[in-house]
Amino acid sequence: MPTDRKLDQTISQWLEADAPRQLPDRVLRTTFDRTRRTKQQGRWRALLRRLDTMNRTFLALGGAGVIVIAAATVFSLGSRPSGSVGGSAPPTTAPPSQTPAATRSPAPTVAPGVPVGSFVLWSGKVPMTVTIPASGWFGTPADGILTKNDSADAPDGAGLIVFDSDVYVYGQPCKWLTTRPATASATADAFVASIGAQEVRGASPPVDITLDGHAGKSITVRAPIDAKFADCDQGTYGRWVTEAETTPGRYSQSPGQIDKLWVLDVDGQLVVIDTAYYDGTPKAVVDEMDAIVASMTFE
Amino acid sequence: MRRDLVEAASRGDHEAFEVLATSAVDRLYAVARLILRSAELADDAVQEALVRAWQQLPGLRDPDRFDAWLYRLVVNACADQGRQLRRWSAEVRPLAIETAIADETGSVADREQLERGFIRLRPEQRAVIVLHYYSGFSAAEIARMLGIPEGTARSRLHYATEALRAALQADARQPSAANNRIA
Repeated sequence: MPTDRKLDQTISQWLEADAPRQLPDRVLRTTFDRTRRTKQQGRWRALLRRLDTMNRTFLALGGAGVIVIAAATVFSLGSRPSGSVGGSAPPTTAPPSQTPAATRSPAPTVAPGVPVGSFVLWSGKVPMTVTIPASGWFGTPADGILTKNDSADAPDGAGLIVFDSDVYVYGQPCKWLTTRPATASATADAFVASIGAQEVRGASPPVDITLDGHAGKSITVRAPIDAKFADCDQGTYGRWVTEAETTPGRYSQSPGQIDKLWVLDVDGQLVVIDTAYYDGTPKAVVDEMDAIVASMTFE
Repeated sequence: MRRDLVEAASRGDHEAFEVLATSAVDRLYAVARLILRSAELADDAVQEALVRAWQQLPGLRDPDRFDAWLYRLVVNACADQGRQLRRWSAEVRPLAIETAIADETGSVADREQLERGFIRLRPEQRAVIVLHYYSGFSAAEIARMLGIPEGTARSRLHYATEALRAALQADARQPSAANNRIA
């Protein structure tokens, strides 16, 4: 009977001996031939890459209607992708790309929803795990985003996204081009104060919370139901931006969008969990999002 | 520099993507082929993984996770290859054993029994075996890479390793079994 160490060595050496050294050149050439003729997906589409949602409204409208947010690290990608959830890509940008008919690429794989139970939500600077309490939640492990029933769109969608970096909260969401502050919000208190002051019609009073032993605050903001996003800078109702971005990293997708923000200091790092929904979102779904957040554990 | 390439590729820069892919493709191919035990299936899996990587790169939230993300795409593509065939275990064949190579693995019989045991594993178990014993990732790293709880990764690794141990033990009890290759 092999000892553990001997067995480990045996398996390693067996695999090493069997491993090929090089991918055939023809495969790489064929691969690049395909990628050269294949468009990239928009950020939100890519984030939820299991979706077979080519005909979805949010895609057709260039992302208007999707909610979520984008973690600070996400925005370091720099570009303004289309179709992201409250992330970037204002409606004035090009619509999300789809795989063109010319490509030989197969249709995107449609993955099932996230199983009920433990789920690695995010693996960025502040990795976090949650418990999915019910079926119907969609997301890609470790990408920090969840949506209910594959939709975060108005009028009844719901989605959650996490940020774990410092952010600049615009003074006025509709005038974000000229109201970016000089300094970023780096603490929960600073963020809550900034986002509260941003609300033209008043945010909810901050509420003290504790998640996985980390103290913070919860605050709810809402895009005015009568807001005309088309009149805003670049047609975007911007909430905040990260260091790496020049356009809103987080913006409201539709008038009336509600964002319940869970704001924490986790080992010195600002963490914002944004649960976004609408008046038409079933209360049970909102409760499920609350439960997901409440179950959050940090590494 | 690498982060710059990832960011450029995520903005649609084909050249940047091809530099990144070329630098990673051989190790990805090795992983795919070890998991699938088939050159043809591994070719397809790597190609599909890289095309998906290109398509989905704008959704990669942290450029520093690019390499781990590629591994995940390859592992998923391997699983897809297996599902498409619906005959994961029966269809694939062992890699040719080059008996002339006198490595430290031990006897040819050991290698054949490892092959036999490995082919019986489920795809997700094969993946953790290859990522751990060949690529050198810890269970925690594999968990993060594949988006599964660490306990699940450890469990899969433990079960799969024990299955391979059992295969070797079977060989010890039945020396002649080494000649019974799985076709």
